[in-house]
Amino acid sequence: MASVAVERPLAEDAPVKRARRRGLLLLAVLVLLWGFWEGFRALGIHYGWQRPFTVDATSMPHIHDMIWALFQRPNPEAPLLIVTLLKAAAFTGREAALGFAMGATGGFAIGALLAHSRMLQRGLLPYVVASQTIPILAIAPMVVIWLASVQVTPWVSVAVIAAYLTFFPVVIATIRGLQAADHRAVELMRSYAANRWTVLWKLRFPMALPFLFSALRISATASIVGAIIGEQPSSIAGGLGGAILNFAQYYSFQPQNLWATNIIAAALGIAFFLVVVAAEKLVVRRAPEHVA
Amino acid sequence: MMLARRARDWLPALGVFVAGIGLWQGFVKGLHVQRFLLPAPSAIWTAFSSNQNQLWHEGWFTFQEALGGFAIGCTAGILFAIIVARWDLLGSALMPYAIAANAIPIIAFAPITNAWFDPLTKTSKMVIAAVLCFFPVFVNVVRGLRSVKPEQIELMRSYAVGELTVFRLVRVPTALPFLFTALRVASVLAMIGSIVAEYYGGSLDALGANIEQDASLFQFEKAWAEIIIASLLGIGFYLAVVALERLATRWQPREEIVGA
Repeated sequence: MASVAVERPLAEDAPVKRARRRGLLLLAVLVLLWGFWEGFRALGIHYGWQRPFTVDATSMPHIHDMIWALFQRPNPEAPLLIVTLLKAAAFTGREAALGFAMGATGGFAIGALLAHSRMLQRGLLPYVVASQTIPILAIAPMVVIWLASVQVTPWVSVAVIAAYLTFFPVVIATIRGLQAADHRAVELMRSYAANRWTVLWKLRFPMALPFLFSALRISATASIVGAIIGEQPSSIAGGLGGAILNFAQYYSFQPQNLWATNIIAAALGIAFFLVVVAAEKLVVRRAPEHVA
Repeated sequence: MMLARRARDWLPALGVFVAGIGLWQGFVKGLHVQRFLLPAPSAIWTAFSSNQNQLWHEGWFTFQEALGGFAIGCTAGILFAIIVARWDLLGSALMPYAIAANAIPIIAFAPITNAWFDPLTKTSKMVIAAVLCFFPVFVNVVRGLRSVKPEQIELMRSYAVGELTVFRLVRVPTALPFLFTALRVASVLAMIGSIVAEYYGGSLDALGANIEQDASLFQFEKAWAEIIIASLLGIGFYLAVVALERLATRWQPREEIVGA
């Protein structure tokens, strides 16, 4: 009895300890990256490295300058850079979120359809795979023109482009996941006279969830990429893609602004990813061992 | 027998292809869709065949970028993974960051690599393709090297086998399927990454720069022809990796799904 009483507070401490260790680790990784960047920069400038690229204050601005740039005005009339960038991130985030929702729903529907018919799978799956090698971003300008001709606002067109990049991993994961249910479980349900629909929702769908979420994590990133790149041919200036193009033009004068924009873009990508991970933690309690 | 099975596997896909092209052509011609909305397949084919030399030249230029980036990124990914997987603690500490870094929209850094390297060179695009390839390969190889069954290691130890031999005989074969899954993803990423990086400025010998220019000049037939070249090269690259995989992992049962 005594030993149980002693051990219990220890067990409760464990999550706190783990959180603290993780925090320290994050700090260590960030410091390491910072040190590597500044060290490389200092050495490169001191020895005048020309390879692999010319190291100077323009190619590698100080990290503190990038952070500092966030809290300054790019020009006297403009608001603080961070305000502009957060607005742009919200704009791009909205495109990506809509695209993600459309792509995930559409991908699941197509995947569920293909999972139920060998014939359809043979006929269509090669094209689903081939569709990924098409640089959709190449036809982005045409997509915007098409959708504009049916009165779709440009930011929704960008969401459609993001949706295209999102749907593929979901289709593949849905097919694999829906077919991953244990045959014995399917037979058991059949023996209780469960129809296809019941088997799908009560058995196959829950079994497919882990597969689905590993696809959604990939799709989260893809939707952000789609939104950022899709903004370029659509000449949408309000989002992060527009901001990147804009600051890229002034790179030789104010390199830190482009870097600051990319830091925000990276943060947006990671945030989207973490939202999906959090949703997965909520929905999928147990993790089957064979999900990559 | 073999041939009949092959035919049964591919006939539906072929049917869909023919029907799809037919419908497209009929749709465009029948409804008089304007050419800037959607050119007819026949018009794209004309643009394709009359510009073939130039198109393949552009495609080859971009393909070199993709191939170079693929080689650099995958080699670096494999090397880092071997180092990291060697020390369990290091591996579990770094993995979450590698996975999070994979969520960064890396293509958005193309303007920076353009500023670092001359935008007209292949190097500026290769770097983007390399970084794109690095993360999936790194993450998957670490996973593969660490998914070895403890019993296998124990068996090898009981034979007093050295660390290097265990690596060669147990860890590498276990990791190969993981590696090839990542390589397939990387082949597609490298091609798309190079093309998109070219949108941010690049040599007019390259596919991406031309697609962007033709689309903005409303030469959509040529833009589509360039997209077809890009897809052909992308599919070829992907299939080459799949073929390599079949050679390298002959003992593994084949998967049904082409893309998974």
